[in-house]
Amino acid sequence: MFLWATMVIAANQGEAHKPSSGRYLDQEKVRKALDSATTHGASYAEVRLVSFTQSSVAMRDGILERAIPGQELGLTLRILADGAWGVHSTTDIASLPDQIESTTRLAKAVASRRADGEKPIGLAEVPIFEDEQHWNSKLDVRNTELDTKMDLMNDFYRGASQHKHVVSVTTGWSDEHIHTELMTSEGMDRTWSFQRSLIHGMVTARDEGEVVSYRTRAGGQGGLELIKGVDLLELGEQAQTAALRLLKAERAPSGKMPLIADQDLTGVYIHEALGHPCEADLVAAGDSCLDGKLGQKIGNELVTVVDDPTLMGGYGAYPIDDEGVNTREKVLIKNGVLTEYLNHRETAHHFGLEPNGGARAQDGLHHPLVRMSNTMIQGGTHSDLDELMEDVEYGIYACGTRGGQVDTGRGSFQFAAQEAWLIEDGELTRPLKDVSVSGMTLEILKNVDGLTKEAELATPGFCGKGQTVPVGDGGPVMRIREALVG
Amino acid sequence: MNMLPEGAEERLLSNAKLIAKACEQSGVQQWDIVGFQSYGHELDIEAGKITMAGGGGEGGFGVRVVEDGTFGFAHLVDVSGAQRAVEQALRIARKSPSIDNFVLPSEQKAQRVGGMCDQNILNLGPDDLLEQADAILNAVKSADKRAIVTGGGVGVSATASCLLNSEGILESGLSTSHGIGVQVTIDNDGKMTSSYQGDSSRTRLVDVPDCVAHAVDWAVKTQNPIEVESGAKDAPVLMTSEGFSPLFSVVVPPAMMGQKLVRKESFWTGKMNQNVMSEDLSIHDNGLLEGGFSSGSRDSEGVPKRHQSLVESGRLVNMLWSTRDAAQQVAEGRIESANSTGSAVSRSHQSPPSTGASELTMTSSRGSRSFEQLLEQLDDGYVINGVMGAHTANPTSGDFSVTTSSILRVVDGEIVGPLKQAGLSGNLAKALSGNVVLGDDVRRQGSYSSGSMHLPDVLLMEGLRVNPA
Repeated sequence: MFLWATMVIAANQGEAHKPSSGRYLDQEKVRKALDSATTHGASYAEVRLVSFTQSSVAMRDGILERAIPGQELGLTLRILADGAWGVHSTTDIASLPDQIESTTRLAKAVASRRADGEKPIGLAEVPIFEDEQHWNSKLDVRNTELDTKMDLMNDFYRGASQHKHVVSVTTGWSDEHIHTELMTSEGMDRTWSFQRSLIHGMVTARDEGEVVSYRTRAGGQGGLELIKGVDLLELGEQAQTAALRLLKAERAPSGKMPLIADQDLTGVYIHEALGHPCEADLVAAGDSCLDGKLGQKIGNELVTVVDDPTLMGGYGAYPIDDEGVNTREKVLIKNGVLTEYLNHRETAHHFGLEPNGGARAQDGLHHPLVRMSNTMIQGGTHSDLDELMEDVEYGIYACGTRGGQVDTGRGSFQFAAQEAWLIEDGELTRPLKDVSVSGMTLEILKNVDGLTKEAELATPGFCGKGQTVPVGDGGPVMRIREALVG
Repeated sequence: MNMLPEGAEERLLSNAKLIAKACEQSGVQQWDIVGFQSYGHELDIEAGKITMAGGGGEGGFGVRVVEDGTFGFAHLVDVSGAQRAVEQALRIARKSPSIDNFVLPSEQKAQRVGGMCDQNILNLGPDDLLEQADAILNAVKSADKRAIVTGGGVGVSATASCLLNSEGILESGLSTSHGIGVQVTIDNDGKMTSSYQGDSSRTRLVDVPDCVAHAVDWAVKTQNPIEVESGAKDAPVLMTSEGFSPLFSVVVPPAMMGQKLVRKESFWTGKMNQNVMSEDLSIHDNGLLEGGFSSGSRDSEGVPKRHQSLVESGRLVNMLWSTRDAAQQVAEGRIESANSTGSAVSRSHQSPPSTGASELTMTSSRGSRSFEQLLEQLDDGYVINGVMGAHTANPTSGDFSVTTSSILRVVDGEIVGPLKQAGLSGNLAKALSGNVVLGDDVRRQGSYSSGSMHLPDVLLMEGLRVNPA
């Protein structure tokens, strides 16, 4: 919500600005600054620097609209003093030592306002590492020429265009190499890096007064190999087919009815309905319907949900969290029982739990929040969609996502499908459009009554919580006994 | 004390001129440069207390080069990299298609727009924000003992900005902003209700703006939901400004973009000078609004901004253009002639200008009604103060299907109680062409994607379907 909370960019591509040591931070100077924070009364201080080397390309109807290469660099100083946080974010790395005293004073000013009996902020202990971890891509995306990107994007365009009702095809490309350095007053000194690559397209079709659009994405954590591994011509053809189908689709019926969601929509459902309420910063703030429910049965026994940043290739994968904690798979629900919240060090301390690598910041200018990574429902016992539909007399099969939203406190959520079909007597009959589904987390998790065996990460996405981070979602094809549609 | 360091504006302009020099040394035909440098303070509030105080600064430059109708763009922070940035932009321009007659705008006299910078904000420091946050927390507690601010914060910022181009345009200025947002939650025996409300201004806000009381009010109002018959029904809906604006911002501004209209990507394509809304409704874009968040003397390409009518008495009368979009659509033969309407926007120095609205207002020649009069006219229907999933609305068709937990049932013009949850669906373009009645309290609503909107409460008598859970 605040104007300065955006990135600062340097125009040089590659790592032209990166010093020969491979580090942006002068370790000796930063150590001195962190020591000085302790001298001024900080119980903990950290400096986290993030460099994004990135590029984006936009094409419309096979013609280049814009290409923007850039390098972003930001640094956040975070100081815990008297049980409260003071933070300073800047692009001016050299100014760091000048900010130590004032940021510590800021933290103390916040602490002085704490009411009697109110718990001061503390941090759960974590192992201290001095190391580097680099997830090297098979094909470093920073070395990709603009012509190569345009050729790949044009594959999608060729597949998606060539129909009288298609009025435009837009394609987009974005890639980034993320390099992070973290140093703390506890002696943590970690550097890590990885890449993300994404291609997306939108087909707009029109037939007389009816206008529809269909969006699709492919990519994840990794380099150019991810995009080269996608049959983009076929992806374009599929998007065209879906857009043309939407032109003929009817408005969805409204009401409570059985819903079957494809892997993509299942992923968004579990992200919104369960993932957000599991974020322990929201639980601690009194803004989650899952407060006090650890160890309780909140869903059908079929439901097991994991959040896993180590799932290589997923758009939400990362090697180390933004507090320097090693990542691991978190089992949020095991057979319907809530088993774990997503935590960072502060919430882990608050709840007396172990940190589990859930701290993520949008970039170097933001402080870490508790966030999801790659969130999935695990597979069930049904063999395929047909078997899930067998028992459905009248319901909806919904596919693809246009996004979703949740009110974590109330436990209510909404998500929208890109396209859908009516199910009548166990068969897909008519195509539908503008299907949205809503419900209450604690009710609908109990209504999941069928999952296919195979679970997979679906379309890469983005999650907003004041800060935007890439995420992966997915699961099997899922049946909900009763959901509010429309 | 001043949030903005001395000479910030001059330093920014001086650095922008260094980039201009790099353009000239590279023999670039035409160029434009935008620069920003911001400073600010912020506080986070969670679980009824201040949890973090922060501050910082950032800035950067965007440079666009134009050669024989092609363009390239690059952005940078450190002006020692200016030459490299210009060369990158040139390389991209040489791979881009040429647009006939695309040239950067030349200097035209622009009207000065006031109200952008408030010394009272520049003088604010972290201690002032801490006091304001205390006042907000106390106000919430006083309004309802059970109410807790579970999220939100307070922030102030000051920004120096500049724009210059090869054709003689040179503009610089300072702006300030002050914003607050509060998520208020009430836990009533394990049943939580909540409401998020916010306010922002170029001038200093009062310590406890009205939005704080509104947030508490809606968290209270939506407690103890009543039972209603389930099943979807067409019904009149009174949407508060806060409930209506997210849907409006996703659906309506894109429909008035020139590029989308001529490319047949707008539901109003082919309807220029035809009725597209109820005959009493008008939509204006006031780029010259004093103290606006998206208004100013010039747009992001340097073209003077203007106050323009887009829909007049229900008729679509104008569309929004930037210089480049206009030249491209004319060159590609989709429209005979088009010129910039001063509607180029850059979201930051990281992206080249595109087309967008500045300060949209919707008015009715039938006049406006008080909230009570709107309820009376509504008679039997619903009041909605917030929706989930507005971003999933379809801007090419106007169709939407969203959810609300901030909904009140109205019978015989009286509010009888809240619903736990309901779906709301329809087509906003069609709903706006039906019987629409506007309230008398116009409130500014921000939007990242489409500038600011100045909207009252809106009663939509037709075209919406409500589906109680």
